[in-house]
This record gives sequence, C-alpha cells and structure tokens, in this order.
Amino acid sequence: MSTVSNTHRYRERPRLPDLARKLVIFCASVILLVYVLAPFAWLVSSSFQTEAEIVSVPPHWIPHEPTLENFEAIFFYGEEEVTYESRTQADPASGGYIPSTAKDLLPAMWNSFQVAVAVVILNLLVGVPAAYAMAKIRFRGRNASIYTILTTRVIPDIALVVPFFLVIKNLGLLDSLGSLILTYLAVTVPFTVFILVSYFESLPDDLDKAARIDGCSRFQTMTRVFLPLAVPSLVAVVLFTFLTSWNEFLLALMFTQTPAAQTLPIVVASFTSDFTISFSFINAAGVVAVIPPVIVAIMFERYIVSGLTAGAVKG
Amino acid sequence: MAQIRFENVAKYYGSVLAVDKLNLEIRDKEFVVLLGPSGCGKTTTLNMIAGLEELSEGDIWFDEDIVNFMPPHKRDVAMVFQSYALYPHKSVYENIAFGLAMRKYPKAEIDKRVRDAAARLHIDHLLDRRPNQLSGGQRQRVALGRAMVRQPAVFLMDEPLSNLDAALRVSMRAEIKDLHQTMQTTFVYVTHDQAEALTLADRIVVMKDGIVQQVGTPDEIYEQPRNMFVASFLGNPPINYLEGELIASGGRMAFRRDGLTLSLNDDASAKLSGQDGRKAILGIRPEDVDDRATPAEGGAIDGHVNFVMPIGSDQFLNMKLEGKELFFRVGKETRHGNGEEVTLAANLDRLHLFDPETQKSLLWDQGG
Repeated sequence: MSTVSNTHRYRERPRLPDLARKLVIFCASVILLVYVLAPFAWLVSSSFQTEAEIVSVPPHWIPHEPTLENFEAIFFYGEEEVTYESRTQADPASGGYIPSTAKDLLPAMWNSFQVAVAVVILNLLVGVPAAYAMAKIRFRGRNASIYTILTTRVIPDIALVVPFFLVIKNLGLLDSLGSLILTYLAVTVPFTVFILVSYFESLPDDLDKAARIDGCSRFQTMTRVFLPLAVPSLVAVVLFTFLTSWNEFLLALMFTQTPAAQTLPIVVASFTSDFTISFSFINAAGVVAVIPPVIVAIMFERYIVSGLTAGAVKG
Repeated sequence: MAQIRFENVAKYYGSVLAVDKLNLEIRDKEFVVLLGPSGCGKTTTLNMIAGLEELSEGDIWFDEDIVNFMPPHKRDVAMVFQSYALYPHKSVYENIAFGLAMRKYPKAEIDKRVRDAAARLHIDHLLDRRPNQLSGGQRQRVALGRAMVRQPAVFLMDEPLSNLDAALRVSMRAEIKDLHQTMQTTFVYVTHDQAEALTLADRIVVMKDGIVQQVGTPDEIYEQPRNMFVASFLGNPPINYLEGELIASGGRMAFRRDGLTLSLNDDASAKLSGQDGRKAILGIRPEDVDDRATPAEGGAIDGHVNFVMPIGSDQFLNMKLEGKELFFRVGKETRHGNGEEVTLAANLDRLHLFDPETQKSLLWDQGG
C-alpha cells in the first residue's frame, strides 16, 4: 500500500500544506502591516480628535466627533498670541491647548524644506563626480579615499557635535540654515558616495571605455552614460538625504536657537515642553510634517526601476 | 590613414609587468592580430593604442605623432568589446549614432551612416530596440555598427567573437574579414583563438607574459615558429614534442630518440651540421604524417595505436611511441583499430627542432 501511495504522492500538487503555507504568510503579513501602520493610523486619527476624545478609553480609532481645530490652529491661528492666561481659560474637557509656539510650525517647515532641498542638490553635485571618479578612475590613493569616507560614517553624530559646534561658531554660522546645510552634508555625503560607488562599480568598465572611445570626455561619460543608468541609485540617494535632513534633530537642536533657523523636529519637540500640552495638536503637527516626505517619495518612486542595465553586456 | 608604431613600450601595474619591451610597427590598412593566452598583455596593448591605458615607458606613434598622453576621444579609433558594451538606456539607433553625435556630425549625415551600417550588418529592422531585447549575435552586430559608422583610422577589436556560439563565430569571422576589405582601414584584433588569428590576420603578433614571441604572417607563424611556445600555441591538436639528440648519419643530420631516427632535409642539415650529439626536441605537427605513403628513407615512424578518434573529415590517432603519447592526424581511407601497429611516413620538410634549454627553434631562430 505504502509503495503505491508513495508512487502517486507527487502526482498532484499537495493542496493542504500549500494552503497552510499561504495562510501563514498572509497572517504574518497582516501582523507586520498592523505593526508598521498602527502608530501612523493613530497619528492621523488622533489629529482629528479633540483633546478630550484622544484620552478616552478604549481609544477611538475612528473619531466620534471629528474636528479640524488642530489644523486650523496650525494654518490659520498662527498669528493669534497664546499666553498662559488665554490658555487657562480654555475648557480642559474640550481641549484647545494650542501651544504658544504653534505659529512657528509653518516657518519651521519651510526652513526644513530649504535645508533638505539644498542638502539633496549639493549631495548630488558633490557625490556623483566623487563616486564616478572612485569607481572608474584608477588613481593613487583611490582605495584609501574610499575607506576614509566610509570611516567617517562609523563615528556617531553625538561625538561630532562639539567639533561641529566649534567649526560652526568660528564660521559665524550659529543659528542659521547654513550651519545645518553644512553639517548635514558632512553626514550624508559619505553615504551618497558609498551608495553610488558601489553602483558605478557594478556597471561594466567596458561601458566607460566604449563611451570614451565614442568621443566622450570623462565628464561627458559620467553625465551621458553613467547618470542615466544610475537613476535608481540617485533616487535612493535623493530620498535618503531628503529624509535625513528633514528628520534630523540633534544637530539642529545644537546649532539653532531662534525660529528663524529652527527646523520642524525642533519646533514639534518644543510643543511637548510647553506649559500645557495638547497631544492632538502635536499629532496634527506630525501629520503635517509627514506630508512633504510622502510627496517626495511618491514623486521619485516611479524612477526606481530595476533591471535597467540588463543587456549592457553579456550576462 | 594610420600607421601605429610602438617604441620600447612597457606597462606596469604597480610592480606587475603587463607589457615589456614592445617594439612593433602596424602598417596602414593592415589587419594585425594580437594572439596569446589570458594575461599575456594583448588587451593592455590594445588599450594603449586606444588611449585607455597610459604607458609606463616608451612611445606610441600614430603616423608622425607621438600620442602617449592623447585621450581616447581625440584619437581616431573605434573599438569593439568582447562584452559588446552597448549603452543599455539607448536604442540600437542611438547606440550606433552616439559616436557621431558626440563629434557633432549633422543629423542627416548621422542618419545616413547609421542606416547604411545597419543595412550592411542586417540589423536595420532592429533600430528601435533596446540592447536587452537583442540576441548575442545581434548585439555584436550593433557593436560593430557603432564602430563602423565612425569610419575610424584604426579599428580595434578585443575578442569580439568570444561570447558567440561556435557557428555564429565562424560566420562573423567571414564578415569581419569582409569588413576589413571594404573599409580599407587599419585593424588591430585581440584574440586567444588561434583559428581566428590564422583566418583573419595579415600578420600575427604572438605574445606571452607581456613579451612578443614572434611577429609574422599566419604561414610564417605556423610553419616557422621561433620557439616552442609559438609552435604549441598554434595548431589543434597541438604539435607533438619528442626529446632526443642530433646525430650525423649518411652525410646528413638526423634526429634520434631510442629506436626512432628521422633524417633532416637539406636546409636543416646544412644549418645544424657539425652539431652531432646535441640534445634537441623534435616538434612534429599531427598532420605532417601520412599513413598511406611509403616512408622515405629515414622518414618512418613506427608506433602502437592506443585509440582512434574520428572527427568526420579525418581521424586522430593517439599513438604510443618510444614511451611518449603522440597525436597524429591521418585520412580516413584506411581504418585503424585500437592496439594496431602502424608505420607513418613523416614529412621530413616539416620537422621542427628546438633547444631544450632555451626552447628556441634551432631552424628558424636566426632572425632573433
């Protein structure tokens, strides 16, 4: 009997184990999704709730009394002065604890945006030629320069704060966007170079040679042949540098003191150290802070095309 | 017009010597093949012509100019790579047109040249495709087209056929030969495939370990190898070697190893006269025997057939002879069986003799 069943065992696709496998994968995916999305969902949901509703037990995932007052506070009430006196008059049950620095949120966002865009552009201008040179040109000290650049990335930011501070102070850049752009570049350029060097190295040397024989100078080889092929990596670099600059907290905290130069994370964090705290307002600020990176990610996502280099050389 | 001249060129990578003491003149419109095993410096030599590698020593001349530090895009050269090196983000048309566009040719002229080249290479229906939509053979044609349209003074090819299958390789070989004849330009071709070298070249440069072993026409290289490396690198199956000594017998010189004695012809006897007792290595190519002719005096090779390998047109005999295994190629008119005793007639005009110490030819080394 057993021989017969063994003979025919694989005649048909084994159905039950297959179904079980799919079920496990499905459940695992759901758990992962919930794990990743639940905090975000709560962020969005609570931003539409009043301070009273946000603390209700059990929490309301879908607001029972949705309100836009937090967003109104960000976008329209920026000019209204909030003081301790005006705040104590607010009804604690209905919320309305708008932080005194609420009006700084939008300018801080604009600061963050300027810094992030400048860091992205400068990263590309510096990182691309550096990476191309290190990947495709043989020069004395090539390996040493790659390792040096990588080494700078193993130093934690906190160790760099004091030296950075001294440099920024001596340059007279304290409390300016320039201080942030400069220090963020120091932090992100090594990563950019590292990503692009490994990508350029993966493109065949013959492509470089062919372009130069076809009449390209080194610079033209980089711009006409390597850049179009590197789009997926460039997108990764753009996203990474934009998000790093957008989210950076420590250096911004050290180098900026006034709303003129403060970035979004600093201002949002300051809401928690105000004399009264509105969690729903902070969450609304969080939602606003998330929007630009999401737009950037959506804009560039379609350029992340894999397999573009297939067919360059015999595989 | 381009004549290329190497004067004492050397190339080091750190302390590793890639090419040494290279003195070579490639004539205008000549088809020169650089032949040698991997790592012999042939591709480095080609890259130096292209300007992709800098020289460590010496000079390279294009006609009357030294071009040591001239960047590739200023030299009038085109190159075809083993890996094809097509631009994956460009269409076939753009790939072929790229070199002309970079040199700012007018659009109409570019279009005309691209279409002419495509038609000539039978890829005119593929112009809108991307390289990854093409087969290996088609990609190689695009790479050829990209080089052709430039009408360069020097056409460089780095093992262009190595990635193709055997049948395609043979037909592309014929096309490259035809291309050279119609383009009337200087070709420098790198390969490790002796058949390609022999079929394509006007002259072959055999290289080993960065040093040129011999320069000559395919016939010279094959018939008059200067050393044992050249002799064994060309020919399939390779030349047979037998160690022995020279003896004087019957007024002429002969090679002897135990029971085997082969008389040398007049020229060889004259060159080697008086060297009785000198140790020597005999080289005999597999095809330089005949199993049906009656051996001339001092021209018989007696041996024991280990096994027979038919190859369609002929048959190979693996023979045991004086303690050595040798390969011979004979016609298939006479069937041979395993274990048979056979007498072959050696072609005494085609024997090679080498010095066991220097491995240089005793017959053809006079030229240096």
